[in-house]
Amino acid sequence: MIETAPDQPAASSSWSIQCRVLGALLIREMLTRYGRHNLGFLWLFVEPMMFTLGVTALWTATKSVHGSDLPIVAFALTGYSSVLLWRNMPGRCIGALWANLALMYHRNIKVLDVYLARVLLEFGGATISFATLSVLFITLGLLKPPEDMLQVVGGWLSIAWFGTALAIWIGALSHENELVDKLWHPFSYLLFPLSGAGFMVDALPHQAQEIVLYIPIVHGVEFVREGYFGSRARAHYDLGYLLSFCLVLSLFALMQVRKVARNVVPE
Amino acid sequence: MISLRDVHKVYHTRHGNKVVLDGVGFDLKMGEKLGVLGRNGAGKSTLIRLISGAELPTSGTIERHMSVSWPLAFGGAFQATLTGIDNIRFISRIYNQDFERNLAFVEDFAELGPYLREPVRTYSSGMRARLAFAISMIIEFDCFLIDEVGAVGDARFHARCNFELFQKRADRAMIIISHDAAYIREHCDRWAVLHNAKLTLYDDFELAYGDFRIQIGLDPQPVDDQRPVTSRRALVETSQHRSLQDERFMMLAREGDWRRDAGQWSLSEESYAAALALYPYERSRWGQHGHVTRANGLHARAEASYRTACALGVPVQDVHDFWVFTMAGQSVDPQRWPLRGYVAGPASSQVPGRPDVELFARILWCEDRTDDGDIVDLLRNNATCDELLSAMLQDQRFDAAHPGWPKIVRTDQNPVRPSDGPRALPQADAPDGDEEESVAGWIRDICVIALPESEQDETQISLSKIRTMENAWPILASAGAFSDWPLTQSFLRDMAGSQTESRSQA
Repeated sequence: MIETAPDQPAASSSWSIQCRVLGALLIREMLTRYGRHNLGFLWLFVEPMMFTLGVTALWTATKSVHGSDLPIVAFALTGYSSVLLWRNMPGRCIGALWANLALMYHRNIKVLDVYLARVLLEFGGATISFATLSVLFITLGLLKPPEDMLQVVGGWLSIAWFGTALAIWIGALSHENELVDKLWHPFSYLLFPLSGAGFMVDALPHQAQEIVLYIPIVHGVEFVREGYFGSRARAHYDLGYLLSFCLVLSLFALMQVRKVARNVVPE
Repeated sequence: MISLRDVHKVYHTRHGNKVVLDGVGFDLKMGEKLGVLGRNGAGKSTLIRLISGAELPTSGTIERHMSVSWPLAFGGAFQATLTGIDNIRFISRIYNQDFERNLAFVEDFAELGPYLREPVRTYSSGMRARLAFAISMIIEFDCFLIDEVGAVGDARFHARCNFELFQKRADRAMIIISHDAAYIREHCDRWAVLHNAKLTLYDDFELAYGDFRIQIGLDPQPVDDQRPVTSRRALVETSQHRSLQDERFMMLAREGDWRRDAGQWSLSEESYAAALALYPYERSRWGQHGHVTRANGLHARAEASYRTACALGVPVQDVHDFWVFTMAGQSVDPQRWPLRGYVAGPASSQVPGRPDVELFARILWCEDRTDDGDIVDLLRNNATCDELLSAMLQDQRFDAAHPGWPKIVRTDQNPVRPSDGPRALPQADAPDGDEEESVAGWIRDICVIALPESEQDETQISLSKIRTMENAWPILASAGAFSDWPLTQSFLRDMAGSQTESRSQA
């Protein structure tokens, strides 16, 4: 027989299958979400860019108090981009499996792949938007180049990890309980002002600082800002806290995915 | 090889746990074809999903030592907002196949033309089925899972699907589930019946089908559509979809189909007649019944069936030529008694069919079986139900069955009041055996036809009182049956008048 689809792939080919499946899912997601009309998949990052630009303009116009002498444009860019990164991922993962139940008939596609594809897409969109706007503002002279590029990248990735773990956990939970969808919206809305996007921890009263630093995402945002602005930012963070939090959250997420995968009933 | 060992599947529902599969186990080797019979909701599709790996069993093991397809002709794997081509591209990527080659195959097989470049959501259901099947054929699996492949599409498409599957891929293993026993018999070499979460395997189709038949006969499934039927017109209309939902009817009708295809005319007629006994007002099987009786040389019976089919709504053109043939077979000029098509309007002016004659023969003549010749005569001569009923009242068999009518009800003048009897329909309180069912069936039908729509209570009273053919007519008459049937009423008045005369003379 020719071209028989293998049943149990060897371990060596598993990786290539995984990449192929994720790639196919990514393209499928992009086509479904953005289609081929007008800007097509450019919307992937044009949309978050518009958000960030809008917020930057708004904050500049109202001269928002952020408790530091950092330029407002830089402040808004780092703050709002990170919000887009961790907040859109769970939003896209809620109900993702319901929409893609039929895919479960293809045995190479696993429940986790469906979530990973959406998370990767969001990560790509937010990252391209952040990078493009940074370059744009730097070119226009509104912003100085980051002081420590590597720290910005590291901070950005740790926020992405937080978002990914949260997204997969919330997404898998939402498959079993529709309340999750209802609760996520108010929760994410309330977490937004507390996430460090709109303030520097340093500007808060000491007591408030202690409370706010329990929120893991604040550490990530502070870390990115320090990378961008260096000592001027006077950042407060504990990377160990953020990363161990992400680790535990990832564990929960994978457990929940496993549970859902065991009980999933394709249509 | 695929091996299932002691597979259990339990679904947690709001009404508690539902055991769908209970200790299912079998082996399927390369090239073997297993056909699974089972009632609606027996768990056939669950079994297929478990074998495909899309779903995991609650306990037990499923080992696959060959590649297994997704359920065939299954359209759900499409993204409806994407084009046909994008969907092909996706499947090609997932299974690491050459996209160009696949596209060429699908273009050739599905015959969608430019639609392949349109979103799948703009497709008709037939187009979706063609695309789904074509995509399923792209990947060469060792074992194909086939779930009701005969459900959509036209005959040509079916023939091409069957060629792709059973000719070109004759060496593969297959698991086929279907309601259509004939399909499974034709294409499988092993059979299984899934009933009450247990899977029983058979090497002989007749044994498997025999057990399946018994299971379907055992407890009729409740019909979803419980709206009351209040007129003959509604009876004709609801019979179509209610019969389609009734597994007993569908099994008998399909049995009739395959026996017809095998040229077993008498056996086929038996099956159709049994199906029609359940739903006498189901039009399309009357046409089939006509075809097989005509092929069997029973021209009068075939004529009655064709007339019935037309009276119940089959387009006259569809059966006209066959009907002419049966008329010629009886050496009768078709011009003399034309074929009459369905007429909307009150029951009294609708065209009667064989079930009407049989119902009236029961209540007027107390006759359970009416001769084909009589039925044909009555159908030829009476263009409306009203004409038919009054003609049958004038027959001497009515006098014989109800001697001295309407004298006998004079002693019981009081019409029945709604408070007098139980309100429940007889079928509602006691789902008895087959005998009881069919009795209730004809009583229900005659009450629907005889009693006007407004008098629901009366209908129910009558239903609960009528137990035999002998007491049916007096009860119906006192409940005001056929009150708006002009010919019948004028005949009954004449009859009553002449009787009063004869009494006063005495």
